[in-house]
Amino acid sequence: MGDKEGPVTAAVEQHAAPAARHGPPPPPGGWRRLLYPGFLRAAWMAPLFFGIGCGIVVLCRWWGGWHPIWFGEIIVLVGALIAGPIGFLAGIGAFDYWARYAIGAPTRPEDHSGHGAYSWRDYFRVNTDHKVIGMQYLATTIFFFLAAGLLAMLVRAELAKPGMQFFDNQTYNGLFSVHASLMIFLFVIPAFAGLANFVVPLMLGAPDMAFPRLNALSYWLLPIAGIMMLSSFLVPGGAFAAGWTGYAPLSVHQPMGTIFFNMGVQWAGASSIMTALNFLVTIITMRAPGMTFWRMPLLVWANFTTSLLVVIATPFIAGSQFFVMFDRVMHTHFFDTAGGGYPLGYQHIFWFYSHPAVYIMMLPGFGIASEVISTMSRKPIFGYRLMALSLMAILVLGFSVWAHHMFVSGMAPWLRVPMMVTTLLIAIPTGIKVFSWLATIWEGKINFSTPMLWALGFVSMFVIGGLSGIYLGAVPIDIHVSDTYFVVAHIHYVLFGGSLFTIFAGIYYWFPKMTGRQYDERLGKLHFWLTFIGFNLTFFPMHLIGTQGMPRRVSDYAPQFANWNLFISIASFGLGASTIVFLYNMVTSMRRGKPAEANPWRALTLEWQVSSPPPVFNFDEIPQVVGSPYEYGVPGAKHAVLNGDRAPTEVEVR
Amino acid sequence: MRRGSIVQLVLFALVASAAGVLLALLPNWLPKSASDEAGRIDFVFWFVTGICVFIFAIVAAVLAYSVLKFRAKPDDDSDGPPIHGHTGLEITWTAVPAVLVTSIAVVSAIVLAKDDAAGANPLRVDVTAQQFFWSYTYPGYGNKKSNVLRLPLDRSVVLRMTAKDVIHSFWVPEFRQKQDLVPGIHPTLHITPNKLGTYPVICTELCGLGHALMRSRVVVMEPQAFEQWATKKGP
Repeated sequence: MGDKEGPVTAAVEQHAAPAARHGPPPPPGGWRRLLYPGFLRAAWMAPLFFGIGCGIVVLCRWWGGWHPIWFGEIIVLVGALIAGPIGFLAGIGAFDYWARYAIGAPTRPEDHSGHGAYSWRDYFRVNTDHKVIGMQYLATTIFFFLAAGLLAMLVRAELAKPGMQFFDNQTYNGLFSVHASLMIFLFVIPAFAGLANFVVPLMLGAPDMAFPRLNALSYWLLPIAGIMMLSSFLVPGGAFAAGWTGYAPLSVHQPMGTIFFNMGVQWAGASSIMTALNFLVTIITMRAPGMTFWRMPLLVWANFTTSLLVVIATPFIAGSQFFVMFDRVMHTHFFDTAGGGYPLGYQHIFWFYSHPAVYIMMLPGFGIASEVISTMSRKPIFGYRLMALSLMAILVLGFSVWAHHMFVSGMAPWLRVPMMVTTLLIAIPTGIKVFSWLATIWEGKINFSTPMLWALGFVSMFVIGGLSGIYLGAVPIDIHVSDTYFVVAHIHYVLFGGSLFTIFAGIYYWFPKMTGRQYDERLGKLHFWLTFIGFNLTFFPMHLIGTQGMPRRVSDYAPQFANWNLFISIASFGLGASTIVFLYNMVTSMRRGKPAEANPWRALTLEWQVSSPPPVFNFDEIPQVVGSPYEYGVPGAKHAVLNGDRAPTEVEVR
Repeated sequence: MRRGSIVQLVLFALVASAAGVLLALLPNWLPKSASDEAGRIDFVFWFVTGICVFIFAIVAAVLAYSVLKFRAKPDDDSDGPPIHGHTGLEITWTAVPAVLVTSIAVVSAIVLAKDDAAGANPLRVDVTAQQFFWSYTYPGYGNKKSNVLRLPLDRSVVLRMTAKDVIHSFWVPEFRQKQDLVPGIHPTLHITPNKLGTYPVICTELCGLGHALMRSRVVVMEPQAFEQWATKKGP
């Protein structure tokens, strides 16, 4: 890692010694420290920008003669949810380089002062190293995963018995709304982005992402979005309580917490879009020599298709939430029938994002599963090209099915059958993937390590989630089970058994690469089995109470469902407790785990051909890619040649 | 593949399908069926269940077999056979699911068309939802109003629905029919009750504070009793 003293400041020296330390210059002393990018500067810039936001609101209202001039909700919206966060970002230095460039101050294109991590402090500043950003993403998303998981525990506590136990209705509605929003926007989507941030440039043989400063900015938008959603519990009227779907017109007439959702989605969405653009440009332009599209690992393919989905679809949810907010604060009538608005318009726009979002939350998991299953079975991935093409098929079909969320919504009745057909067609590329994974493990030499358990757990649970999706795709059945616990069961089989299981597979699989240490295998397996069993006990019975007649999003229910709900609540507490094993394993292994080899899984993809953790700029020399990444069992086959002037290492020969 | 392993795999699949069939038959998955539409919807439900048990059995058998048979020995660092694909297999597992989902789509579309058609001489009822109660109006009986939905046995009913404030959803599990009530539009729902009894009307679209308690009842009556009630003054 180089020595810790003496920052390298001259650009010439940096070029001469690329492996030298590139950490930031030490902060200046005295009052100048207040101007140095970091939390100290953010601590005064955020309030300053908040004040500017308030000033703009007051000035506009005074100018227009609108009373009251000091109007709480608009102050919160403009000051706290828009201007304040911009001040925070400016304070920590997310815009410094561009600001200097814009005002004509000298900038260095090859400035690596914000790159790499040399102490724990480097994880708490604007860092342009994709590996550091990946870790920042993962730590942040796991934090919000825990917060959202605790909210789910509160939901299950309330539902343990019929009648009202702990919360009033509005609080209860807030609990499940914030649970879902955090899990979706602050956990599943960004956790995949974090894993991909770490792994994709390494897999491509690239030194970093295409736009490292944009990458840093897109990370720092996330904590803003998450804190916004969580803090909505503290405002008068409580958290946003119209569900994560926030259907208008209900959401328009909810207490102030709703705008925390409207704006939180904007910050998280902007983060997603920037990251997706970054992935697209990185994958298109920064592949190592010889890395053709058809030699890319499937994880890269998965993130390529996911990023296309994000870039195309995310603006739609941004629009839907802006419309709701405008209806609320500017008295427009997008969804208000009295003013000529159209409530179903909200659902069409919302689901035009939110159905593709299901694939945004699933395709990266497909990629992780492909990597883990091929490596751990010691076999080439079965039908590589069809695997990549089925990702593309899901991408295209995913945009033609949104109205299957609206079969009972009152939309044009003729639209139901075409949407049912496209929905059911998605089962075909999805089936291809599942069968190809099964064919990959067939006759393999399976190593049942923790990542493999999660990957196989994913395949089995995702099949159940896919099959319950067929029930929901068939219009007559959907009419009966729509908005019941059957749907709750289905989405958890897809997003928990699918997305979360693959996130865990990815975290365990790349843990040695990320931290340079090995996790505890026994605890990893314990974590898997506790989660797997707790998950099924919690969510499988929900199918049953759903078809029998229990609607979703209720704080109270008919006595006939009391026994199952108590059972589900107890199981869910066990499921929640299994997370403690995960956290304990991560924390202790990161500190005291045994040092990891460069390639503990004997994998062929490029990230395993460098040290664990990788050097700051990933590769001392740009690798030359010469073949497929999955040639297990093919004598003499190679994916890439590294350090071409030296003899191939043992790993490459294998 | 050896003959012995095929036999084992088939055995695994049989065990998995038996487990799937038991899971489908033992719990009482669906509430009592009390309308013609419910009978048809249940048919689709069991049709899909049959296909799902079949797919689940295949996946579970292959997975369980692989987990048991292809475990690497602790000191075995060798690779598996380098199989890159098999065009025949890939075509099969594209074509077979395509046929299955097409059959589901066709059955569903036929049932949907039947469930969407009113029978002869339908009874019209206007359903209005608002936070947090239901009201029913009978235009054919001098706009008679009621807080309980009373319907005659074996007569096609057309519910014309709307909401006054936010979106609600009308669901009677025993009828299997559901429809959102949206301010500004008037979607319809068709029901032909075929069993006497009282069933719950449940709101299934989150509509605010009182959503969980937004319930009402539907009473299916003998046609003469219904006529008597409908032509009588008062509720």
